[in-house]
Amino acid sequence: MTVAGYEMKLERRVTLAGWQAALIALLAIGVALAAFSVLFILAGASPLTAYREIFRYAFFNRYGSLLTLNRFIFLALATFAFVIPFRAGLWNIGMTGQMYVGALAAFGVLYAFGGKQPGSANLNPYVVIPLMVIAAAVGGAITGAVAGFLKGKWDVNEIVVTMMLNFMAFWLVSHMIKEGGPFMNPGGRGESFEVPPSVRGPLIGNVPFTIVFALGLALLLEWLFAKTKLGYQIRAYGHSPKAARYAGIVPERISILVFVVGGAIAGLAGYHYFAAVPGVYKISRDYAYFGDLAFYGIICGLIARGNAIAALPVALLFGGLSIGGRFVQGKLGLGFGIDYALLGVLMITLVAFQFFYRYRFAWNRSE
Amino acid sequence: MGMNERVQLQQGDLWRDVRPGEVILEARGITKRFPGVVANDHIDFEIRAGEIHAILGENGAGKTTLMNILFGLLQPDEGEIYLRGRRVQFRSPLDAIQMGIGMVHQHRKLIPAHTVIENILLGHPQAGSVLNLKQAEEKVAALAERYGFKVDLRARVWQLSEGEKQAVEILKALYRGARILILDEPTSALTPPETERLLEAVQAMAQDELGIVPFITHKLPIVLAISDRVTVLRQGRVVARMATREATEQLLAQKMVGREVLFRLQKPDVTPGEPVIQVENLAARNDKGHLALDGVSFTIREGEILGIAGVSGNGQHELAEVLAGLRPVEQGRILFAGQDITHLPILDRWRLGIGYIPAERIDVGSIGDFSLIENVLMNYYFDEGFVRQGIIDYDKAYRLTERLIVEYNVATPSPRVKARYLSGGNLQKLILARVLSRKPRLIIANLPTQALDVGATEFVRNKLLAAKAQGAAILLISEDLDEIMSLSDWIAPIYEGRLMGMLPAAEAKKETVGAMMAGLQQEAYAS
Ligand SMILES: Nc1ncnc2c1ncn2[C@@H]1O[C@H](COP(=O)(O)OP(=O)(O)OP(=O)(O)O)[C@@H](O)[C@H]1O
Ligand SMILES: [Mg+2]
Repeated sequence: MTVAGYEMKLERRVTLAGWQAALIALLAIGVALAAFSVLFILAGASPLTAYREIFRYAFFNRYGSLLTLNRFIFLALATFAFVIPFRAGLWNIGMTGQMYVGALAAFGVLYAFGGKQPGSANLNPYVVIPLMVIAAAVGGAITGAVAGFLKGKWDVNEIVVTMMLNFMAFWLVSHMIKEGGPFMNPGGRGESFEVPPSVRGPLIGNVPFTIVFALGLALLLEWLFAKTKLGYQIRAYGHSPKAARYAGIVPERISILVFVVGGAIAGLAGYHYFAAVPGVYKISRDYAYFGDLAFYGIICGLIARGNAIAALPVALLFGGLSIGGRFVQGKLGLGFGIDYALLGVLMITLVAFQFFYRYRFAWNRSE
Repeated sequence: MGMNERVQLQQGDLWRDVRPGEVILEARGITKRFPGVVANDHIDFEIRAGEIHAILGENGAGKTTLMNILFGLLQPDEGEIYLRGRRVQFRSPLDAIQMGIGMVHQHRKLIPAHTVIENILLGHPQAGSVLNLKQAEEKVAALAERYGFKVDLRARVWQLSEGEKQAVEILKALYRGARILILDEPTSALTPPETERLLEAVQAMAQDELGIVPFITHKLPIVLAISDRVTVLRQGRVVARMATREATEQLLAQKMVGREVLFRLQKPDVTPGEPVIQVENLAARNDKGHLALDGVSFTIREGEILGIAGVSGNGQHELAEVLAGLRPVEQGRILFAGQDITHLPILDRWRLGIGYIPAERIDVGSIGDFSLIENVLMNYYFDEGFVRQGIIDYDKAYRLTERLIVEYNVATPSPRVKARYLSGGNLQKLILARVLSRKPRLIIANLPTQALDVGATEFVRNKLLAAKAQGAAILLISEDLDEIMSLSDWIAPIYEGRLMGMLPAAEAKKETVGAMMAGLQQEAYAS
């Protein structure tokens, strides 16, 4: 193609620096938002106003920004659950199921301590909260381990297994919290009993303490990959299972390990949302909404190219847009589902732009 | 060049009336820079119809880069390419293929589960419109017949030998209408008889006015035997071009390396010590489940080199893997310094002092997306000297890598570059350096000098001899009889999974070994 005396051609990239990847992602976000304005226009709203409202509410409004942070923590944890197996070349798309089981395990601890009874206001938080967190991690880890074990031992496709576990966990939650289930809310309503006030996840400022997990794990994981023997083994296996085996790395061990750790972190995401976010404190009726949201961990992880720290801004953006999208939907009287539609368009554009991770345009003066 | 011109350049008129000896491709001033290296530095180069044009050069001289540019896989930073006098620019290999250039990479690019004919048709520009299988098959069969390739078009690719796979790739290029055929180190994965067949085919193709460019790093006798013209590259520049009849082996080697190459080994005199490895009645299966090793027994002592001579596919590959712990043992036992290691995990074997140099340097021996430092760590990440409390000492690994790069003369701008950007020979040097630097007590060397230039080959052979002098036991697997004869203390020809005998190298005759490799005779020398 020739434009104004210059010839444009596509070239395969030899290298891609981190900043170039970031630039491509920013460009993609710009394009996605521009494309999505068409939907706002069709719905009779000015895109500029809509975006201003979305960003103002999501990131600058006192209430909105807190909601954004809650989602950010959730998404970040779901992303790590994807990223760890991803670095080993494996695909965990079971963060939803692992998150559900983690939440159930945390509520199981409450149940065991009699937290379901209305008069249980004085449970000891120093005992119960750590136990809930640990139980959530263990629940997620066991769910993850199934896929890791089957993959490592018999090479059963991990995508299929994690998918099926998602369905099973979904119905398990439903069974536990619906009418007659052990975790049923005394008032019915198809949700679980509430976390008693004394053992709700503590807040730092107004933010759930689980933000420490999100930020701390990002640093910890990247340190693990960059500096430790374990991280080295995971990455080696991820790049080339054959070469890793030659070097003495045991494939079964890596596969189980990454799914156990990934699942544990997904379990924490379940704990976070249902036991530490103000205003929730129960496995709510719309728990499937958060199951869907957990899937965005895959997208965040892919956009961040498997880097846990790079995943943080992406998770923040996605969290903010889902909150802001919900908000303008109500405020401007738009159709339902703007939030997910927005995330969807963003996702497709970002994935499409991954093309530019491999190719670039080069301009030459044509003769 | 714009779109329109590209469309006009259809093959039909481009390749009309080619005269023998005519310059059909001309490259002028080709320059390609990579971060830290000039891989091609103003290279001028011509291909003539009906000629076999060999390209020589040390590891990292820029041969692969130049060919990738001619095939459209890389774009030059400077320089022009002319096809029959017309300027062309290839954005991708598709452009090059369309204009009659074919390339057979060293690394096979076929789909194993598909049949030969499917692979040949796959990606053909007209595959959608004229998928007349019968017609295509006839055409391919005719091509195969003409150049003496014997392949079953209905066979699945995974069933083929390396030589047959290569034939398929050549047929694929020809079927797509290649008039210039680029062969990337075509003989390195082939057995000697396969090599011979390939060379005959190449000569027959040249008779049909194809321009052919094989580049052969170190097999100078082949260059002298079949090529018409030679171009020698050194550090990205053309340092010599001549008609082959004016060249000699010494002259070419000297041009490549820039100094005289002595082809001399310092064979040390070592008295063998204790047995390091004892293999008793070993049997193992290959990937297809057939018995690949059957009743193999031998002992290698400290300071001894046992050469396994054989044509690829006779079990030597499986033998190396079994000893390294990568392949399960069906029957028999392996003792290492008296300890039974038959079922010992791979990592424990590394720790005990077994070092394995695999034949597959890209798939097994290295990780392309890892830096050279991380590649060196493949044999050190478990070593107490490099890991403390689970944390790897990357600075120390950096220093080791730097040292190995200097010692083994690996051409690279920095230890931090990814291994995939090393040239084939330089990657091989890095793997050798890494394994040998552990000072293993047993070295399993599977095709250790493959892809190395003459200078590096000499260097590596001396390294193996130095390890032997220090008391290492070495199992040397090679198809190069000269290599086996000049390095080994004992020679065991292998045929269909069995060792045909154990010959003391000092008394072994090349003819005897050759005959035993072919399964002709079983000598009963005492060992
Ligand atoms: N994609 C790349 N990125 C960076 N450097 C590269 C790349 N490809 C090649 N190089 C460098 O360019 C130089 C020439 O490499 P090339 O592969 O052309 O050598 P070669 O002559 O084919 O060597 P060999 O005989 O070892 O195969 C080497 O120093 C190599 O490290
Ligand atoms: Mg090369």
